[in-house]
Amino acid sequence: MKLKLYPVLIKLLFGLLIVLPLVAGLSYALSYSLGLSGLLTKGFTLDYWLKALMSKSLWMSFLYSLSIGLVSVVISLCIAVSMALSWNKSIQQGRFSYFIFLPLCFPATVMAFLVLQWLSPSGWFSRIAFELGFIHSLNDFPNVVRDFYGIGIIFCSVLLITPFFTILMSNIYRNENLLELEKLSKTLGASSRKTLRRVTLPILFKKSKMTLLLFVIFVMSSYEVPLILGRQYPQMVSVAIVQKIQKFNLDDIPLGFAMSVLYALLVILVLVVFGKPSRKYLKPNIK
Amino acid sequence: MMHKPIITIILICFLGCKTDKSHEKSVDLSDWSAVEAQGQNQSMNMMMWKGDPKINAYMSDFVLPKVKSQYGIDVNIVSGQGNMIVQSLMTELQANKSESEIDLVWINGETFYQLRQIDALYGPWTSVLPNAKYINFDNPFIGKDFQQDIDGYELPWGNVQMTWIYDSAKVKNPPQNKAELLDFAKAHPGQFTFDNHFTGLTFLKSLMISFAENPDELYGDFDEATYQKYSQQLWNYINQLKPYLWQEGEAFPENVAQMHQLFASGEIWFSMSNNDSEVDNKINEGLFQNTARAYVPDFGSIQNSHYLGIPKLSQHKAAAMLVANFMISAQAQAHKSKPEVWGDGSVLDIENLPENQKQHFQNIAKRRYAPQRSELDQNALMELHPEYMIRLAEDFRTKIINP
Repeated sequence: MKLKLYPVLIKLLFGLLIVLPLVAGLSYALSYSLGLSGLLTKGFTLDYWLKALMSKSLWMSFLYSLSIGLVSVVISLCIAVSMALSWNKSIQQGRFSYFIFLPLCFPATVMAFLVLQWLSPSGWFSRIAFELGFIHSLNDFPNVVRDFYGIGIIFCSVLLITPFFTILMSNIYRNENLLELEKLSKTLGASSRKTLRRVTLPILFKKSKMTLLLFVIFVMSSYEVPLILGRQYPQMVSVAIVQKIQKFNLDDIPLGFAMSVLYALLVILVLVVFGKPSRKYLKPNIK
Repeated sequence: MMHKPIITIILICFLGCKTDKSHEKSVDLSDWSAVEAQGQNQSMNMMMWKGDPKINAYMSDFVLPKVKSQYGIDVNIVSGQGNMIVQSLMTELQANKSESEIDLVWINGETFYQLRQIDALYGPWTSVLPNAKYINFDNPFIGKDFQQDIDGYELPWGNVQMTWIYDSAKVKNPPQNKAELLDFAKAHPGQFTFDNHFTGLTFLKSLMISFAENPDELYGDFDEATYQKYSQQLWNYINQLKPYLWQEGEAFPENVAQMHQLFASGEIWFSMSNNDSEVDNKINEGLFQNTARAYVPDFGSIQNSHYLGIPKLSQHKAAAMLVANFMISAQAQAHKSKPEVWGDGSVLDIENLPENQKQHFQNIAKRRYAPQRSELDQNALMELHPEYMIRLAEDFRTKIINP
């Protein structure tokens, strides 16, 4: 009886805590954006959807967020794969693991402020450069936070997600017996470089591609980091939507909801097209 | 055993979905003693901005103990301002709740405008308060909020004027008019900016008023033609200024707190504040160097008041009124106006106070780093209708940030 009841309860709990609020939230946002709810509504309208679809700045926000997400994930992936392959034995054991996983302890907001303290023109690096005589004033320091290319956002995102990727790559490496496969490949005459290119990297990528996609979406949708390290234009999508909903004009709220539903639909579409995530590799390797 | 915690969580979820059956409590506004009797010994929530340690200390160390000892009221201060207050009350109204979680809110003009739009405020209620008769409602900076009649739906609590803050060690002659500001920015690129929120918009409003020969042209209800005429001149000027602003005008501090941080770290030489006593406060807190000074340029700056409102669905309206009445008492207003406490301007007509209450305002130390209120009053401009701010915020985004 217990064995049968438990999975049902788990599904019920998942439905209540995850699916129901999500569907309810999306339905509410959709009805608000169509003028079907809201205190100031004047009845059904498609005006807000048309505005959202025709908004150049919104599509710019989508593209900007996507590029920030892709660049952050690619950089993190390169670092994580290098670390997982180079230091595989020690990466999840001993003191070294504390150092690798330290960024996991920092909430995104704290990490963003830390990056601001490091990299802003009045930050630590700028002050050190000034004291050492490399720059003549603090404002001569290269502008890497609140910059057009989102360097500060990318740097902060890389710090936040690289430990996750390191765990992921390290686990795939172990679970897929890549060490043995590499040995076999070399025994059959492949060079180390060819083994990496034809065996190790394709397996790592194949097994992690859905998770990588989810992390691209995670970075694209982040709010606190671009709020602190970003600028008003170009603006990442979450910040743009929240500002639409929360700023001075109450008539902009339905437009903000239309933007958020549109973004959610795009993300769901991408997830449906690309299939299921490889969840088993997200578990840390505890022995 | 494993599924017991899960069943417990599910039960909590269902039990947490309480149906709201209570009804709005009415208050007999004809009799203050009835309000006193009804409001005593209650617990209530006040939502207010908690971003300033001095203001927080004034509330927790002075106001709360006093209302507790006088009326037995426990006030729980909840953090939230502007849009958060609007969102909270709007959500309650949309959910058809009959009981608000909030009983008293600290607001200003743009929030008042939004709350009146959604009919979220209770009123009129202010005339019942005994201390309201000492409020200087004839002063247009107090009796009107962003050109709107307050009509008893909010109670004036304090009065402030926007000041520009500069580092006197770096800036010997701060700019006094638009031409001087442009010259200064050209001579010192990257040292001046304004934020992308309320304070920055107040700065833009002051500038826009300065283009009008007579500020009265912009006062009153929103007028499209007037807005077009003067906003065009404003954006032309800002576009001239833009290349010489911080980060070449490509980015702006998101709010005044960010601007204060940039100023404190020496990245910019100017900051701004809607609170004319801010510079004294921040120097005393050690955030600003004691070379920081506040001033108002010759073309003036906006003076406005901040207010207390009671949500329509509050279940503790009488208690909220007792607290509000104390907050506008001579004792509370005088204490609040001390620079070492908060430095907020009083809304009371001090000359008309009874002698025993007037004494509270005697021997208050003068501020050290900002001009005295009497000087600021000479260059005070009135707040514009909220629609001007809505349009300025939108046009700033489309004409300056992302042209």
